[in-house]
Amino acid sequence: MASAPIGSPSTVRSTVNGPAIVAWILVATTALLLSFGALVTTYDAAMAVPDWPATFGHNMFLYPLGEWFWGPWDLFLEHGHRLLGATVGMLSLLLAAILFRRPASPALRWLVIAAMVLVVVQGALGGLRVILDDKTVAKVHACTGPLFFAVATAIAVLAGRRGRGDSSGPATDRSDAVGRDSFVAVGPLTLSLPSWAVGASLPTALAVAAYLQLVAGAQLRHADATLAASTFRWMVAIHLAGAAVVTVLAALTVIAWQPHESRTARRWSLAILAMVGGQLLLGGGAWLFTWGLPAWLQEAWAPAEAILARSPRGAAVITGHVILGMMILGAAVVLALEWGGAERLEQIARTGIRGGGRRLHGPQARLVPGAVTVRPRSERGAR
Amino acid sequence: MNNNPADVRHPRGPRPVWGMKLLVLLVLLVMFAASGCGATPPAWFRLNMVEATKQKLTPEQERQVATVISAMFGTPDNPVALPETGLDEAKLRLAAGPVRSDIVGRKNGLYREHCAHCHGVTGDALGPTAAFLNPYPRDYRPGIFKFKSTERADKPTHADLTRVLKKGIPGTSMPSFALLSETQIDALVEYVKYLSIRGETEIGLIRAIFELDEEAEGKLPETREFLVGERLAEVVEKWKAADTALIDVPEMPADIDLVESIAKGRELFYGDKANCVKCHGPTALGDGQANDYDDWNKYVVEWTSKEVNGDADKQWVNRAHRVLDGDTLEPRTIQPRNLRRGIYRGGRRPLDLYYRIHAGINGAPMPGAKGTVPPEDIWHIVNYVQSLPYELDGELGADRPMVARDRF
Repeated sequence: MASAPIGSPSTVRSTVNGPAIVAWILVATTALLLSFGALVTTYDAAMAVPDWPATFGHNMFLYPLGEWFWGPWDLFLEHGHRLLGATVGMLSLLLAAILFRRPASPALRWLVIAAMVLVVVQGALGGLRVILDDKTVAKVHACTGPLFFAVATAIAVLAGRRGRGDSSGPATDRSDAVGRDSFVAVGPLTLSLPSWAVGASLPTALAVAAYLQLVAGAQLRHADATLAASTFRWMVAIHLAGAAVVTVLAALTVIAWQPHESRTARRWSLAILAMVGGQLLLGGGAWLFTWGLPAWLQEAWAPAEAILARSPRGAAVITGHVILGMMILGAAVVLALEWGGAERLEQIARTGIRGGGRRLHGPQARLVPGAVTVRPRSERGAR
Repeated sequence: MNNNPADVRHPRGPRPVWGMKLLVLLVLLVMFAASGCGATPPAWFRLNMVEATKQKLTPEQERQVATVISAMFGTPDNPVALPETGLDEAKLRLAAGPVRSDIVGRKNGLYREHCAHCHGVTGDALGPTAAFLNPYPRDYRPGIFKFKSTERADKPTHADLTRVLKKGIPGTSMPSFALLSETQIDALVEYVKYLSIRGETEIGLIRAIFELDEEAEGKLPETREFLVGERLAEVVEKWKAADTALIDVPEMPADIDLVESIAKGRELFYGDKANCVKCHGPTALGDGQANDYDDWNKYVVEWTSKEVNGDADKQWVNRAHRVLDGDTLEPRTIQPRNLRRGIYRGGRRPLDLYYRIHAGINGAPMPGAKGTVPPEDIWHIVNYVQSLPYELDGELGADRPMVARDRF
């Protein structure tokens, strides 16, 4: 029988969780950074500053603030993107320094290492995109950004959980859900879901699909003008098919998570589905602002005025499509890690301890040792 | 039997941490993102393969045309404007090349930023997004432009193209670039003219090979006199003449009542002289003759049906079909305009409608009323056409829905 180190003062010290706070600040800054990056692409402002790491000959950090802030819009976006990138790099370093000075799970450590690698690679890619003035690098740069965002979110979730005590996650005792089919009543229908659908599988699949959609979208947004129309048509088809996959996965997640004990988890899954719905609308809007109405809609409705190129409204819709896609990715990562149960079950197995049905904080947390037995995977699969 | 849950959990020893799995997943995703990547090659002008194949050029002849045209006009990143073209090279350099700012606030590569994704780097309407647009984007190379203040066969003026860029083309994917500065729009118009002159000269050179005598041995004479003095000059002259080829628009008859004018216009609309009803239909909903093509599509359709499919040389036919697949889009018929929607692609001013009715629309089946309808009477048709979106109980009867609903 394992002892109960979790309740000791060394790991459950106070309600203030420094690493988690830094990690969430990193997530928020990354979201802002990626939003700037998306705007840079929308306005084709990547080469608004032709040199790197300097900005028009100035040290990046010493470029006159007034000239940046009140200067041309393209310069504001590109230089702002660089400053935010540097901030995210430094925040990542700070987070790594904090987390490696404390006891942390191997998963968390690996994630921090991944974040460090990604942030360095991403910075270098950003520089290469400018130095080489190459769209291929821009495409890779656009794919690595959301990946870093997902990793940063995962770090924040795990760091937050750790601050609450290794085994005292939110109200998600999933042990009795594992290995048992779930039943969901939707109106007159009753759906039977296999046990695997209840865990982290669906949110993980959703996160991967959301990321691949961001990759596919990045290929469309950075398409070179010399690309063949037939190739581009296939790329659009892939992106549309991906949208269908993400929508189905989000809907399945909502259905599968309805039996979940945590109301927050249930609502979170619904919020993701709502975001996906909004994303479909923004995608349609992006199509409209980029290419106008498709032929089958032209007879039904067409404005008497031409679309205004580079309008703030159009840029907001097109850029919003990218940002919301990133948010869906982050939300799916949170759902999978915070309530998915895999990590939690592993900890329960390791420590033999399970938390109560509510959020536990501080030394007053009441832990019940040896209350659960988790069946081996093979046995679970046999059922 | 060991009842320790931890032992049961790991029957084969310690499990590898899932962080490692995650890192592997990240690496795989990065590899996926980078798959199929290679450095982006510099932009290039595509040879007009449809025309070259149509004229049955040999690969050597194609290479010669490409080399000559490149020497005359440069590349997408380094355009050349020979003095004979009358084009301003400084403007071209602002519009050409990749998008970048070497000076704070001055953006080069405007064409690549705003136009090339639909109109293509070459101006051949084969940009990556072209297939999604209806109508297809304009191919500048034949030098045909629809909306202008000049006679049907003439080139548009600089002001005409500027107007299209500023206003956009309602009812199509062509947006308004009103948010761009005057300098930027001016540079883009210059660049469109450059691409058009380049494209038309290229077509001229390809056709010149077809007309060569035996002494030439299938090669174009590479003399300045022939290339610039004949072929280029032939194209440039038409552009230079545009400013003096403006349509002479008479004053709108001031002494006539608007209702009377609309009635007269209606009479002409349905009459034999203007015969607008033939295509726009008796209801003016654009439901008349609808099996025609515009010039760009007709060119492909006729070449395919009359020449390619009837040719005995199977090898050439196969080659022609490859060119058709790669260098043309699926031909589409042109839809006569629904005049009750209040959407006027070439501009909504009465003057714009006058130009369209007087000269017709170059490149489209829309004929001009010039010569058949007296100039003053064209104003009556203009008035009638302008009244159509608001006509509530005309020919169609009271049960017709209010078509002006589209005007928002």
